[in-house]
Amino acid sequence: MSGDREHLITQAFVSLANSLVEAFDVVELLGTLTTDCARLLDVASAGLLLADRRGVLHVVAASSERTRTLELFQLQRDQGPCLECFRDGVPVSVADLTNETERWPQFVPAALAAGFTSVHAIPMRLLDDVLGTLGLFGTGTGLLNEEDLSLAQALAHVASVVIVAGDAVADKAVVAEQLQRALQGRVVVEQAKGMLAQVGDLTTEQAFVYLRRYARAHAQRLTVVAQALLWRDISAQQVLGEPAGPIPPLSSLGQ
Amino acid sequence: MTPLDLRSQLGAAMPGPGGAIGLADRLCNACVTLLGVDGAAISIISQGVTWGTFGSSGALSKRLDEMQFTFGEGPCLEAVRQGRPVLVPDVGDPGDVRWPALSEAMLRSGVKAVFAWPVTIAASHVGALDLFRNSVGMVTDDAMSGASWAAELAALPLLDLMTDSDGDDAHETEDGWARLESLDRLEVYRATGMVMVQLDVGPAEALVRLRAHAFAHDLTASEVAWSILDRRLVMDTDDRWEQPGSAEHAS
Repeated sequence: MSGDREHLITQAFVSLANSLVEAFDVVELLGTLTTDCARLLDVASAGLLLADRRGVLHVVAASSERTRTLELFQLQRDQGPCLECFRDGVPVSVADLTNETERWPQFVPAALAAGFTSVHAIPMRLLDDVLGTLGLFGTGTGLLNEEDLSLAQALAHVASVVIVAGDAVADKAVVAEQLQRALQGRVVVEQAKGMLAQVGDLTTEQAFVYLRRYARAHAQRLTVVAQALLWRDISAQQVLGEPAGPIPPLSSLGQ
Repeated sequence: MTPLDLRSQLGAAMPGPGGAIGLADRLCNACVTLLGVDGAAISIISQGVTWGTFGSSGALSKRLDEMQFTFGEGPCLEAVRQGRPVLVPDVGDPGDVRWPALSEAMLRSGVKAVFAWPVTIAASHVGALDLFRNSVGMVTDDAMSGASWAAELAALPLLDLMTDSDGDDAHETEDGWARLESLDRLEVYRATGMVMVQLDVGPAEALVRLRAHAFAHDLTASEVAWSILDRRLVMDTDDRWEQPGSAEHAS
């Protein structure tokens, strides 16, 4: 492991650990997790899917905002490695997707069209329950090495803990409620991104940068700021206007 | 019956004739059949002010539901305000003084227990599902999860009513869950946020307008959402759709 990478890994876990003891926002933390995964592992894109009470998977966070990539994660509501991983509770690794067309007749062509050729799906487990899946897409064929796989699994474990953090005893009802809240929070954040994108003529990705920046500057949770925006308690101009400074180029935000 | 069976039965009970009201009535009847309650009703509430009761399992349930608006108090208004279920297993409990006038009127009609769930569209609470029982006591755990599923499904007749679309025949054939899932997508949430700004409306209305456009043009909600996100479609306040840069837009 290069010293540089070791430093990045340490940083990822340190920032996760720190945010757990402060007021944190589940949606935001899971977003950070997926960007960390994409950066630290030999994968092009990472996405996190959580199941609702009906067992339907929802995209809660993704390292990339590319339309096709998001579609690919959403598609797995019906079919694909993440869905299988969620159902069976064990990792699903596919070194070369071209061999799996029969297994997933819709997912494979979509994944190949989006430029991905290998997939790893890692379960997010808590005690006996599977909460969702961490999906990792690669643009080259081949499997992740042991070390990367255990790192991915560790990040997925952290994500599971994040969801129930604050509740010492994770009984089923509490977990279900936290999941529901995370899913609801994601709806609110996505709507707020849309509002900012429209007002500021931005991509949703840029809009998210402003939203997160405002939340941090005011020491508020992301979902709280998003909700205030939707209720028009704060204006889009307020969020976009502060703090001043150029927004980072898209290239620095993953693909 | 497992909770998941209950879930599919509720969704499967919805298709049929009669537009939004028919849809709502069938869902209420399914609640009575499947959840061990004696009556059910669905109402739309906006900012604490009702638009009214618009679906029920029968005349008495409809009247009971409407009573809450007459008195300006009650579990369904409370459920919408708080955004979570309000459970009243004993309407006659002297220790419960939340709704004095309503409780008395309900008891006179023979209602002993009321349970209200908020109904959510685009993450905002816009209505309530009320369940009535003529005996004191809590509903079973299974009925509790069944009721929260029914409350999710109750968003559909609300959406249909607000969309006021003649073009949508899906309610006659398609399972309730399948119809809801077509809206439960990332791009739809994002586009909803953009439409909120374009039309200066709240989240629920923005989603309704997006959906109405999809019906009118025979598109899926997802397709309309991507058009909005890609700036190929802008919704204006006259509910007219224009393409930026086109001659139509300039006129």
